[in-house]
Amino acid sequence: MHPIVVRELVVEYRRWFKPPVRAVDGLSFEVCAGEIVGFLGVNGAGKTSTIKTLMGFQPPTAGEVRLFGLSATDARARRLVGFLPETALYSPYLTPYETLRLYGELHGLSGRPLRAQIEALLEAVNLADRMHTLNKHLSKGMLQRVGIAQALLGDPKLLILDEVSSGLDPIGKRELRDLLATQRQRGTTIFFSSHELAEVASICDRILIIHKGRLIAQHTLDELAGRVASLEDYFIRTVMAGYDILEQEAAA
Amino acid sequence: MTRTWQVARALMVAGLLETVRRKEVYVLLILSALLTGGAAAFRVFGVQGLEIFVKDVAFTAVGIMTTILTVFIAARQIPDELQRRTIYPLMARPITRGQLLIGKWATATLTAAVAFLTLTLANTLLLASLGITLKPIFVQYVLLKLLGIGWLCAFVIALSVYLTPPATITLSLILAFGSGAFGRLLLMAHWEHDLSVLWLNLLYGILPHYDYFDMSKKVVFDWDLAPWGVLGAMAGYAVLSGTAWLFIGWLRFRKQTL
Repeated sequence: MHPIVVRELVVEYRRWFKPPVRAVDGLSFEVCAGEIVGFLGVNGAGKTSTIKTLMGFQPPTAGEVRLFGLSATDARARRLVGFLPETALYSPYLTPYETLRLYGELHGLSGRPLRAQIEALLEAVNLADRMHTLNKHLSKGMLQRVGIAQALLGDPKLLILDEVSSGLDPIGKRELRDLLATQRQRGTTIFFSSHELAEVASICDRILIIHKGRLIAQHTLDELAGRVASLEDYFIRTVMAGYDILEQEAAA
Repeated sequence: MTRTWQVARALMVAGLLETVRRKEVYVLLILSALLTGGAAAFRVFGVQGLEIFVKDVAFTAVGIMTTILTVFIAARQIPDELQRRTIYPLMARPITRGQLLIGKWATATLTAAVAFLTLTLANTLLLASLGITLKPIFVQYVLLKLLGIGWLCAFVIALSVYLTPPATITLSLILAFGSGAFGRLLLMAHWEHDLSVLWLNLLYGILPHYDYFDMSKKVVFDWDLAPWGVLGAMAGYAVLSGTAWLFIGWLRFRKQTL
């Protein structure tokens, strides 16, 4: 069963007395178990709308979104999912430990196993010494680490990360890469959006490029190797053209 | 049900911690200090013959403060999560929007109930220090007020998913403080302008009645205990009407884009 299946997804935002804005327009893709997929696109391409629909934050206007075979709007679908939002915002009046305890309890965890998991995760993201400091006293990078820890709570089989490295310093980025590598070894499926193409190239198995709400290209990094100068070059040329330049070249 | 309780408990613990750390508790302490300060002033001049007046002022003050605090606490539960975008990691967990709504209602109710009980304790100590004792109906007053707080939180949370926070607070305060007056206006319309009994009952039934939950005047005038069946009926009204308001809120919240 695929962790993510998206079929003919349409997301529209309705406006009073104006035609609706179509953010996602007939998007279809699948993500296989254990795969690491980078979801790329310029600002306004429809990445966040797609991720919001995957997480059930936004009902689809049309089409189907399934996580592990369940509709994304079904709360049970999120039992195996960890999510890191674009901007790491957590209650300024709770500590990282209390934040993780809240999310852990909402996940259905409790007692000693939850405490052990929180301590291990805060240790893993190098926040063990700040676990009892209020979030409002933490830096943006530290809050992002709290976010990474909460995303890993409950041992998810699918990680959905939106703008994964935003706000992290170079050391934080390296730690994140190491963490994702550990998750890959454990067989976790990872689906993430990012503007940092070097990072995408270093982590992903496959990339999806979305433009104006439509999927215009999808390739494994192995397919791209030797055929493009760099991922960045390929991404920019494809988005500027509005279609997959490799397919065009192959057809020519 | 167990899962909903687990969600509500987690949110209540976090909500109480936040309330304490937001320093909102200081507002309570200041209000309690004002009540005690008022008592000190009365002690200077003595309260002989003024017992009813002192009780009336004290219970009215507690009632007004409780209503304002309850409305402000409940009105920010959902909008704050949306504004701070903390709703995303919350709803990324395997919980339904209905469970979140119930959890937020429970958080607001618990927080407002703690505030009311703190003010009531200060009020009782104040009256005791002046040698004023309260009759057993005071217990019924407290129970009914707690029911009213739960009902008011459901009403305000339902409004908060439809309206902006300032609009929610304004409308809630108007309806909370004016609910008794609206009922009287309807009766006047019935007497003076021949409003039919059917319309009178229909409109009166639809209007939110926070005024039902206030027994303070009966405490002030040392009434005997009200029949417990009346309190049971009030509990029934609170549960049914409160559930209806939460359901109305859920109808919008379940489809809302976060």
